[in-house]
Amino acid sequence: MSTTTLPSYSLGDGRLVASSWMRAIPLLPRNALLALLHGYRATVSHTYGDVCKYYPSCSAYAVGAVQQHGAVKGAAMAAARIARCHPWAAGGIDDVPPHRHFRHDLTPHGFVVPPRKD
Amino acid sequence: MPDIIGIILWPLKWLVELVLVSWHGLFTFIGLPAAEGITWVLAIVGLVVVVRAAMIPLFVRQIKSQRKMMEIAPELKKVQEKYRGKRDQLSREAMSRETMALYKKHGTSPVSSCLPLLVQMPVFFSLYSVLNDVAKHAQGGIGGVGLLNADLTAEFYNAKLFGVASLHDTLVGSIQNQAPGWQVTVAILVVLVVLMISSQFYTQLQIISKNLSPEAKTGQAYQMQRIMLFILPLGFVFSGIFFPLGVVIYWFVSNIWTGVQQFIVIREMPTPGSEAAKAREERLARRGKAIDSKGRVVPMERYEAEQQRLYEEAERAKAAAPKRQQPMSKQRAKRQQQAQGPRNTSTPKPPSDGKSGASASPDAS
Repeated sequence: MSTTTLPSYSLGDGRLVASSWMRAIPLLPRNALLALLHGYRATVSHTYGDVCKYYPSCSAYAVGAVQQHGAVKGAAMAAARIARCHPWAAGGIDDVPPHRHFRHDLTPHGFVVPPRKD
Repeated sequence: MPDIIGIILWPLKWLVELVLVSWHGLFTFIGLPAAEGITWVLAIVGLVVVVRAAMIPLFVRQIKSQRKMMEIAPELKKVQEKYRGKRDQLSREAMSRETMALYKKHGTSPVSSCLPLLVQMPVFFSLYSVLNDVAKHAQGGIGGVGLLNADLTAEFYNAKLFGVASLHDTLVGSIQNQAPGWQVTVAILVVLVVLMISSQFYTQLQIISKNLSPEAKTGQAYQMQRIMLFILPLGFVFSGIFFPLGVVIYWFVSNIWTGVQQFIVIREMPTPGSEAAKAREERLARRGKAIDSKGRVVPMERYEAEQQRLYEEAERAKAAAPKRQQPMSKQRAKRQQQAQGPRNTSTPKPPSDGKSGASASPDAS
């Protein structure tokens, strides 16, 4: 078992459609950050094994926060979460508060794309 | 552009210099020559001691938390049974959630938490940069950020171990420069790296082979740990080639500390259920002692008395708990009642006398 699995709300079946590339540009910062996070999760997280006291783990929380709230606010939320993950913390379940009006789609790998028009 | 990393690390570097200079002052005070290599090496050893001792409370806390894991093992097993063989995303997520909720409910966790890992990085980075920058600062005639002033920096820079090996020498640098006695520096570095690799490998092997619970040995993380066993030493080869002797000495001493700490943990505070735990129980049994339910070492008689008491308590609890009665059709109950008249064969054997009357009465009505 691994607690590093992404929660289901971080994944979707969206796809980047060529015609919506203009609308994808504002999403570039968060997708760049998500790419970094995926790289980190595939390598460093794996070698450390399970260390996080929460579900989702700190890195999975960071993925969710960046998806929902963008690069800046998401990064700040992730930093706050890491600060909460100290040795005297009780741990437990701590999900990302979703964005109130989330209007993007998520890909199966957790990247954010503009929603399809149809 | 302001040096952001430098600003963040400034307080940490200041502390590192404080510790280093204090130890150096202490060793000079007790009569060691101030400018000798050995005094500065001992100051580095002192730095390791301070840094690692500061981390002991975290370490102890984690071990205590791991002990409590034994109490929740049955419940944990239940959760694992529930999701056995289910590999899909949603089941795994649900299992993780239930496991985490269980840990929280019992106030225990098998993991350490994320913050210490992240805090360690800047600490190590500032350590490294303090030791590494000595050469740069000494050549520029300046000091560090705090107590390691220009004079002390120059002294550190000129200090030689065994009269030849400077603490700022690297393996590559000393081979290139061929300063007198460079072979000694190279020999020291090579020996330190070899010792580091072997001690690291041995410590990790001890943890993996002896101090993991059977559950931990089944996971993917375990496979990864086994692979890392062979990859991590490569990092030491890298550091041995490019890092100055002062930094390598720091890592070497730190590594020895880790090894000793793990040895003590494996011997005295092993992970419950691991091979090391069994070995400890055997050692204790030979001395006529055992570990009671609270994890304390007690004489064998007291342990047996406690086990007896726990057994009796469990039996009593079992007797007091309501027993599930197999549902029975009305007709069958009637037939059985008629047949039962004189003998008493078909009713299940009651665990105690107080129970049988209560359980039999619904049938009779």
